[in-house]
Amino acid sequence: MAEPLIELRAVTKRFPGMKALDGVDFQIFPAEIVCLAGENGSGKSTLIKIVSGVYDFDEGELLVDGKPVADFGPRAAIAAGIQVIYQDFSLFPSLTVAENLALNRLLSEGRTFVDPKRRRQLGAEALARLDVAIDLDATVGTLSTADRQIVAIARALMSDTRLLIMDEPTTALTGREVDRLFAIVREIQAKGIAVLFVSHKMREMLEISERITVFRNGRKVEEGPTGEFNEARITRAMTGHDIGHERHVWAGDDTEAPRLSVRGLSAGETVRGVDLDLHKGEIVGLSGLLGSGRTELAMALFGMEPHTGEIRLDGTPLRLASVQDAVAAGIAYVPEDRLSEGLFMRQPIARNVIASAIGRATRGPFLDGDRLNALAEQTVSDMRIATPDIDKHAGQLSGGNQQRVVIGRWLLTNPKVLILNGPTVGVDVGSKAEIHRRIRELAASTGLAVLMISDDVPELIQNCNRILLMHRGEIVDRLDARSVEEDDIHGRLKGLR
Amino acid sequence: MRKTLISLAAGLSMLALPAFADGVVDVSQARKDISADAAGKTFSIATVVKVDGIAWFDRMRDGVKQFGEDTGHDVWQVGPSQADAAAQVQLIENLIAQGVDAICVVPFSVEAVEPVLQKARDRGIVVIAHEASNLKNADYVLEAFDNKAYGAKLMEVLGESMGGKGKYLATVGSLTSQSQNEWIDGAIAYQKEHFPDMSLATERLETYDDANTDYNRLSEALTTYPDVTGIVGGPMPTSAGAGRLIAERGLKDKVFFSGTGLPSVAGKYLQDGDIQYIQFWDPAVAAYAMNTLAVMALTDKKDEIKAGLNLGLKGYESLTTPAGASPNLLYGQGWVGVTKDNMADYNF
Amino acid sequence: MTAVSKLLRRSETAVLAILIVVMLVIGVINPAFWQADNLFNLLRANVVIGIMALSVLTVMISGGIDVSFPAFAVAAMYLTVIAMNAAGYQGVVLPFIGATLIGLLCGLANAFFIHTFRMIPLIVTLGSASVVRGLLLGLVGTSIINIDRMPPSLIAFGSSTVDIGGSKLSLMIFIYLGIAVLMWLFLTRTMAGRAVFAYGDDAESAKRVGFNTRRTVYLVYGLAGALAGFAGLLHSSMIWLANPRDFVGYELDVIAAVVLGGASIFGGRGSVFGTILGVFMLTLIKNSLIIMRIDNTWQGVVVGCVIVIATALTAWRDRKALV
Repeated sequence: MAEPLIELRAVTKRFPGMKALDGVDFQIFPAEIVCLAGENGSGKSTLIKIVSGVYDFDEGELLVDGKPVADFGPRAAIAAGIQVIYQDFSLFPSLTVAENLALNRLLSEGRTFVDPKRRRQLGAEALARLDVAIDLDATVGTLSTADRQIVAIARALMSDTRLLIMDEPTTALTGREVDRLFAIVREIQAKGIAVLFVSHKMREMLEISERITVFRNGRKVEEGPTGEFNEARITRAMTGHDIGHERHVWAGDDTEAPRLSVRGLSAGETVRGVDLDLHKGEIVGLSGLLGSGRTELAMALFGMEPHTGEIRLDGTPLRLASVQDAVAAGIAYVPEDRLSEGLFMRQPIARNVIASAIGRATRGPFLDGDRLNALAEQTVSDMRIATPDIDKHAGQLSGGNQQRVVIGRWLLTNPKVLILNGPTVGVDVGSKAEIHRRIRELAASTGLAVLMISDDVPELIQNCNRILLMHRGEIVDRLDARSVEEDDIHGRLKGLR
Repeated sequence: MRKTLISLAAGLSMLALPAFADGVVDVSQARKDISADAAGKTFSIATVVKVDGIAWFDRMRDGVKQFGEDTGHDVWQVGPSQADAAAQVQLIENLIAQGVDAICVVPFSVEAVEPVLQKARDRGIVVIAHEASNLKNADYVLEAFDNKAYGAKLMEVLGESMGGKGKYLATVGSLTSQSQNEWIDGAIAYQKEHFPDMSLATERLETYDDANTDYNRLSEALTTYPDVTGIVGGPMPTSAGAGRLIAERGLKDKVFFSGTGLPSVAGKYLQDGDIQYIQFWDPAVAAYAMNTLAVMALTDKKDEIKAGLNLGLKGYESLTTPAGASPNLLYGQGWVGVTKDNMADYNF
Repeated sequence: MTAVSKLLRRSETAVLAILIVVMLVIGVINPAFWQADNLFNLLRANVVIGIMALSVLTVMISGGIDVSFPAFAVAAMYLTVIAMNAAGYQGVVLPFIGATLIGLLCGLANAFFIHTFRMIPLIVTLGSASVVRGLLLGLVGTSIINIDRMPPSLIAFGSSTVDIGGSKLSLMIFIYLGIAVLMWLFLTRTMAGRAVFAYGDDAESAKRVGFNTRRTVYLVYGLAGALAGFAGLLHSSMIWLANPRDFVGYELDVIAAVVLGGASIFGGRGSVFGTILGVFMLTLIKNSLIIMRIDNTWQGVVVGCVIVIATALTAWRDRKALV
């Protein structure tokens, strides 16, 4: 094999009180696709930052093209052909696509004046290299996330890039968009550029990468060709133990009256005549392509989307004209985007937990601090939220713990129906298993009926007793989770396109 | 777009002072019975002005200072750093707390100071007001002149310039400015009586005491009413704004001007014949007169304070009270008219 | 997307359309509006406010806000005129350079605080405005320099006109337009100008891409101060007096004009052409109330309504464009 493009030898990086990386050896060879796996805090972000020159390290050696480099800073990294695409893309939303693409080049050339023609030409070249069509004159703020990501990739490839690092690139993408991204990644590889991938999604890791490196607690625990891995092995390496793939067994009786019964529910053009039953203790999965109407269905059930049709809860007809109506009836909803729709990032955990059930922590018109703290502590332990204390801000928690705060908050309202939209998006594997286990326990022990909306097919199969597929506003498939295979669902979803 | 109150006489500069080496006010005839020695007591008297630091009130301060030096009383002047009714009220509150003997006030807003002045009088503090003929809570309101007579004088000159016929415009700094609106009332009344062939083209223009606003408003009004041939100006900046408009547009001898102004502000236009007449009064003398009146009120000379009183100051030799007005409203005849011919006599 | 639909999506187009409607309405109410004298006077009224608006535009594109420019303008104007009187200097070029430099220094002081201490621009500029005005009135003087003491060279410069069909158009218009063209070139055709946009859009990304953000902050506030200083002296030479308390309340007018012209208060967006239109809209409304024969008591209401409606229309149109 050729010489590694970049190599770390016994690199250790310390932060006050901890070793973020502990004697790590790591190589990337030209034109290979490497996946970096690990839970939050395992050291993979630190590794990326060292490779891109953002962090200095305390011990060990860094070699570029086989030669040791001292003082490897951001400029040196760029000079070595290393480009990073951050999760926020670092694009300029008010500027045009062409300008976003051309800025780096124009800057590195040290220009004083801007020639709009040349700017446009540079932009066109960059997109042509990836063989994608995006309007060069559109402002980036008007593009979809997937297109923005492509712009970010195209920009990164403008310079003589030899290694492209992508941090969680698929988090905000739909299935089809992921396919397009992978096609682009393979094209990049074909040009001789190495790609370092960081992802939580094992299916994707296995699909795209040639080599997988797994980190745990600052150490490299497994490394090898992708062919030698499967999901169970990666999971074991990441968490240090096996995570059982139990399935949800529903012991209920479907002749009994359903907890939630929906008949002929329509919301504009997006939801059209949906019939749906949720029994006590059931976890029903709902999947479909983006735009299938699944989120609108959830919003209608939560009183956020005007709708027609009949909704009954334990046999009583409901009028859900607002969120307040839904909450009062006992319906809880955990939105897709917990950053913008669910959490108050700058508020302590305790307040976040109590936000939907504030009535339980008041005495007369006043907030009762003791009761509030007691409820918060209870939620933290029930949901196994990893935090030293309840006064920490929600923004300081990891994605998985944030999600637990949101779910825990709704459980405090003692809901009868819980709607989860993408419950484990951006949550690492260990944390994900915890959340799943907790949801299954709740359904089994309290009779909570759960509607779980997700793109993550294994997640649905593991947790649901029934799975519904939605397309163009209608439910087109009703599957029994016990008898259905993952590939079957993938096939059906692909067939809907 | 409320401009800072520029008020009048912004051109009164320090450079003008050497001409009055012995003090700014001619006191050769001033009353001698009001000094601290004569009264047997040193009174503390504060003069509260609309805004501190502008030339008009700087000159008023000179009058206050001179009064202190001449009589030995403890007198001083204060004013808010920004023209602001609430700030002025606060200053008066502070003076009440200090326990002064008398307050001479040039109110920014008559309505705003009524309650606090009532409080002052309830505590036995003598209140003398200036430029506030409708103020109720004052022992005496001393005006440099009858506002209507002042306005009538402006119209007398303008009417002659316009040959007794044609349309004219009128400006005020603010529609709530009591005295300026009374000047214009007086001017319009005089016009109706003596120049029946003249008429006011449109309601009075509000120019926020800013010469540039004067310029823009007048320019706009001349577009809207092209047959206007005269301007009567209430606020001082109009003399500069109108002068510049007439000079720049070449309207000399087509549009005439008569209004409040100082030689330093509008003398150039007067000299060039762009405008015809400006009129003003001296705040230093007014301050001296207010303080004189305050001491008289404090020394049991209240009986003397009535129409016909002679304060021994130029323009305040024989105060008058308009018919039907309350007897504590006193007017002088303290205005000065300036034309091209006598402007050399005034160096401020 | 066709060229026409692109044009329609630009926020300037909306402002221009509203502007034309407003002008037509005023013209119907009073045809005298269309007289050359009136139109020329309107244009003239744009000059000083317009230059100040260009200074604020740059700051707003960078994601900041500047309320200190009226104070800097007044300081530059008053100090320069006083210096000219003290030296007995009669000229034009040097004083304008001087006023511009005074503004520049004040602006750089803003930049120093904003960049070094990461302070909020609103607070910094509120503070510097207060300090500059206070020092000017406290140390330098409070009295207006009237026409009798104004340097004749300045008056002659400010009153230079060109005769068009018997009406006089102030040459200062061309100074304004010249500055506007230079600002347009700077903002759209130089890397430093694009850095202002990038910085306003996302300061962190601008740093990652490799812009020198420190230089950008100094450039933005220095330029804003310099333009304000220049505008201050120009104002004085156009109105033939120098008032050390002038420009009070200009902050809001100018910021309103810039926002009216399509600039975003969150940074990253704004254009020279839009700003020129916004300024024209504002001066048009403010200087046509008498022509429309609107009663004194209603003038404030009309100005407020037009600004709110015009801004709402552009904002509404922008939102639609984004969807």
